[in-house]
Amino acid sequence: MKSAPFDYVEAGSAEEAVHLIGEAGSDGAILAGGQTLMPLLALRVASPAVLVDINPAADMAGISESGSGLRVAARTRQAHARKDPLVARCLPLMVEALGHVGHFQTRTRGTIGGSIALGEPAAEMPALAVALGATIELRSLRGTRMVPAREFYVGPYTTVRADDEVLVAVHYPAWPDGTRTLFEEVARRQGDFALVGLLGAIAVDAGRIARAGLAWFGMGPTPIAAQAVEQALVGTAPGDVDVAELTRVALGEVAPGDDLHASEQYRRIVAARVFARKMRALLAEFAA
Amino acid sequence: MSLHFIEFELNGQTVDGMTESRRTLLDYLRQDEGCTGPHAGCEHGVCGACTVLVDGEPMRSCLMLAVQANGKKVETLESLAAADGTLHPIQQMFREEFALQCGFCTPGFVMTMVALDRAEPRPDAEEMKKALSGHLCRCTGYQGVLRVIDRLAAGEGAGK
Amino acid sequence: MNDPAPTVGARFVGQRVQRKEDGRLLIGKGTYIDDVVVSGMLHAAFVRSTVARGRITRLDVSAAQALPGVFAVLTAGEIDKLGARYFNAAMDQPDLVYPDNGLLCRKDVRFVGDPVAIVLADSRALAEDGAALVEVDYAVDPPVVGIAAARTMPPVHPEYESNSVGAMEMTIGEDIDGIFASAAHVVEDEIVNCRQTPVPMEPRGLLARREGSGELTINIATQGPHMTANHIAGIFGLSINSIRILAKDVGGGFGQKVTALRDELAVVAAALLIDRPIKWIEDRLENLTAASQSRDETCRVRLAFDSDHRLLAADVDFNIDYGAYPHAVHGSGGLTFMMLPGPYRLPAYRFRSSGWFTNTCGEAPYRGPWMMDMFARETMLDTAARQMGVDPIELRRKNIISKADQPFTMVTGMVIDDVTPAETMEAVVAAVDIPAFRREQEAARKEGRYLGLGIAVAIEPTAIAMGTYTSEVAHVRVEPNGKVTAMMSTFSQGHGTPTTMAQIVADRLGVPFGDVTVVEGDSTRTGYGSGAGGSRQAIVGGGAARVATDMLADKIKAIAAHAFNGTPEDVLIDEGIVTIKGSETRATLAEIAQMAYFDTDRLPHGMETGLETQYRFRAPPMVFANQAHAAVVEVDIETGKTKVLRWVAGGDCGNLINPAIVEGQISGGVVQGIAGVLFEKVSYDENGQPLAATFKDYLVPTALDVPRLEYVHLCTPSITPGGFKGVGEGGAMISPPTLVNAINDALAPFGKNWLNMPITPDRVVIGLAEAMGDS
Repeated sequence: MKSAPFDYVEAGSAEEAVHLIGEAGSDGAILAGGQTLMPLLALRVASPAVLVDINPAADMAGISESGSGLRVAARTRQAHARKDPLVARCLPLMVEALGHVGHFQTRTRGTIGGSIALGEPAAEMPALAVALGATIELRSLRGTRMVPAREFYVGPYTTVRADDEVLVAVHYPAWPDGTRTLFEEVARRQGDFALVGLLGAIAVDAGRIARAGLAWFGMGPTPIAAQAVEQALVGTAPGDVDVAELTRVALGEVAPGDDLHASEQYRRIVAARVFARKMRALLAEFAA
Repeated sequence: MSLHFIEFELNGQTVDGMTESRRTLLDYLRQDEGCTGPHAGCEHGVCGACTVLVDGEPMRSCLMLAVQANGKKVETLESLAAADGTLHPIQQMFREEFALQCGFCTPGFVMTMVALDRAEPRPDAEEMKKALSGHLCRCTGYQGVLRVIDRLAAGEGAGK
Repeated sequence: MNDPAPTVGARFVGQRVQRKEDGRLLIGKGTYIDDVVVSGMLHAAFVRSTVARGRITRLDVSAAQALPGVFAVLTAGEIDKLGARYFNAAMDQPDLVYPDNGLLCRKDVRFVGDPVAIVLADSRALAEDGAALVEVDYAVDPPVVGIAAARTMPPVHPEYESNSVGAMEMTIGEDIDGIFASAAHVVEDEIVNCRQTPVPMEPRGLLARREGSGELTINIATQGPHMTANHIAGIFGLSINSIRILAKDVGGGFGQKVTALRDELAVVAAALLIDRPIKWIEDRLENLTAASQSRDETCRVRLAFDSDHRLLAADVDFNIDYGAYPHAVHGSGGLTFMMLPGPYRLPAYRFRSSGWFTNTCGEAPYRGPWMMDMFARETMLDTAARQMGVDPIELRRKNIISKADQPFTMVTGMVIDDVTPAETMEAVVAAVDIPAFRREQEAARKEGRYLGLGIAVAIEPTAIAMGTYTSEVAHVRVEPNGKVTAMMSTFSQGHGTPTTMAQIVADRLGVPFGDVTVVEGDSTRTGYGSGAGGSRQAIVGGGAARVATDMLADKIKAIAAHAFNGTPEDVLIDEGIVTIKGSETRATLAEIAQMAYFDTDRLPHGMETGLETQYRFRAPPMVFANQAHAAVVEVDIETGKTKVLRWVAGGDCGNLINPAIVEGQISGGVVQGIAGVLFEKVSYDENGQPLAATFKDYLVPTALDVPRLEYVHLCTPSITPGGFKGVGEGGAMISPPTLVNAINDALAPFGKNWLNMPITPDRVVIGLAEAMGDS
């Protein structure tokens, strides 16, 4: 298991990365944390002609306040984000979700942007971006564009990012004080991808749900926004939600398949249970 | 395929050499530096036998290119015991708790525990135990490793 | 942990002595196969079949051959010049027909991973570059995947008439069908195990080199250097004297490294054909898909009981998926047939079995290859208990044998002795506190939580000292400096024999543990021994070490008595100091050794000079050990996930040499058993493509998936020197039925039995949905 030959170039900044990947085009690949790309290279499933390493790009790491939300630069290590005080304050759901991303020894190198760019449908970070309404900042020689996470994923490991674009940051909007979150992941072992995953946030204003963002992972070809659920929730008092009915709505939005670890039927059955239990608990928190 | 000159600190010594772009840090350490502590158990980042510390943090050396170690500080199992042969407290606990049998996975487990031991703030017992999910052992059923984690969580270890 | 009292006078045997080998392994100074480097070595990579069954219509190596850095590309055409044919001298009779498709495939391929060509290059990366350039076209045929397909489809191997191999049928007792027809209770079900692979953390590998015209030196990750030498000599028609097998640290074996397989032998062939050292290190992709696999077995069992729940008869139909190239083709029933009645009185027994060739990776041993004996029997006893409405422990009590019943002749003719099945079961039952558990279980069920308790009981043949496994040899000597060297034919892949054998030698000789060095791992430095396999080294190696050391102590006593005017009976050796009772005389072992080697006039008249002895111990064919394990689990019926909450491992493996090492063998095996019930499965699709090719899909349990084990040791000595028994495999065999019984106890309220492995979250949730009639 040794990689096929490739050229290696370092990008010292986001701008350099954009130039280098622009030159390489479809023959190039961006090397961020490498926790997925390196195995694919070793297995010769991927064999790019040139690797553009963004690890030296200091301006591609770091977390800052942006408008009322947070900007997480793409190459920020998962382990660093998990310990970051800004994330702890503004994005506590990310802290919880990161505890399920890989392992202690992979989060030290794996990056937020890498996980989001890869688009593993059973992974936590893409679903988090979708649920919270994040925006993805893509930069190329052609310019910068901002793509809502909800429009970013088109299939398993497939996104709207063009070959010449670099994912430079993810912008997470602010959620109001008092926002409550839910997170549940059913996996075979600690650190495995989800058989069934659900995460999200709900904010209440003046006794009614003002904002809801929920997404599934492991439940379809991409992370799936629970849009009908969100619409049903918004404007309703937490105590008035018919969770059984909402669960039926929720299951109408997922598109799970069979794989080695669980069947479609399993995913549907367990998703319904997880959704109902977590939703009841979350709504009860507002009542309390 | 590009060739690169690299220079980095390995277990307190500055080392340098040329590397093909595609070589992993694991292969470079083992073949060019004779540093056979880290082991190739899967070469796809799951088994953990190749775990080393890079700038103090535990990482899979099979998931890093050698060229990426340029300018970094790399620590392997070989760095732990004292010059007179005295084992590092974590190595000593492994021995006392029979936490190894064939020993192939051991270098990775030990390096993860060194990182936990040094971490500031020190992780709690649950967090320490969770860190073990990043390593596979086929011989021991993990019983000795869990006893070492118990002792580490109870405050034993080398500290900083 | 209730350790046995050490034998009177013992100072090391029975103690948790720290391991000698840890000194090097903990500082990164072990020598595993990839750590061995010699100048001029070439690296090998295989081109492997990408289809499960097909004919090679084109094989073009020219592009690979032309790649700079590639030294040679070998195919069957070259390798076959050596006339090598795969067979297994250790396991089989020489006249058996083997699948014969060369060490590299000749005209057709028979599983995904079948080696087609071997590329030799300056580095492994270049060898893989070359392998990627080898062009192979296949005419694909429909593959045989699974036993059902094997029964009806054309033979995988043209040299066989069908896919059935090693079939056997045995009936013991009269009128089995009549017994079932008139029995008060008949219970029937089928246990479907799943295919697993041993996954040593160090994959296979070897470095082979021809040295001059008549010598072949091979460093190899093996379980037994001598057996490997014998095997390779036989395959290539070489003299065993011309082969040197070296191994130092081996990163686990578990059966996979007991026999060199076709690809390893192809590397040896390459080294014979090309006068360069050749290194091949198996990668994990190859290890998971093309090394060896095991446990792809089904067992249909019918049990007949009388109205008092006593066993009347068992009727068993056992089938094994052998894959394309099993390591051996001997009878499929073997020890599974012999041991299936277990520690219970069984008057009548019928057993049928067959192996089946399929277009999948070949079968080879995995820790306790006959584990279906325990798995089928113990899960069926629980199934029967539930069906008959009796407590599973009471059912066992009705049928089990105890120490007082021995020697006891099993229905299969095996005479068992010195085992404690009933006593060990009762000790485990007491340790668990079953009434307390049942109360907790009942309370939990009221809260919608499903706890379960499983117990399983077994006896296990260890040593298995037959054929190539008959004996081990120890050569023990006091060096001129008074230190002790024990040259052993045992071999450790983590088993700790460098420590346990030293404990025995130090004890019997009366020297400090640190003064004893055990040497293993070189087929030319001691006589033949088969190494690890069959839970044998404590018994056979330990017996050899003990007797050889006793002989050496006798010689020391004779020398001292002669030199210092005493009698041998009055000579004491302690802490390496020789004294004579009632005398002020005191000599170090070094002084005695000096006499023996250099001042030989002081020796008794006619005594052979030197201070060394050798003894080859031939163990009894079977030394029986026994286990009873209990597990407590909680099954989350929402997600189907099972958590193991408690595990009590009871066993009687005789006198313990090192309790910590014994417990390490048990716990490692138990977790492998848990793995097979909850996590691991090698799957193929209908085209014979392996689906679990990486550790992302082949799920080895982690430290978070295992319970903390509690141990109960009974220590009934065997009749062998030292009273040792084997312990290597029992944990891996007894744990699957223990865990399955616990899960089925937890889910008993739903009226359904899970006997299809692995019991994944999916199987539990879907099964419960079916049982409750909704989805």
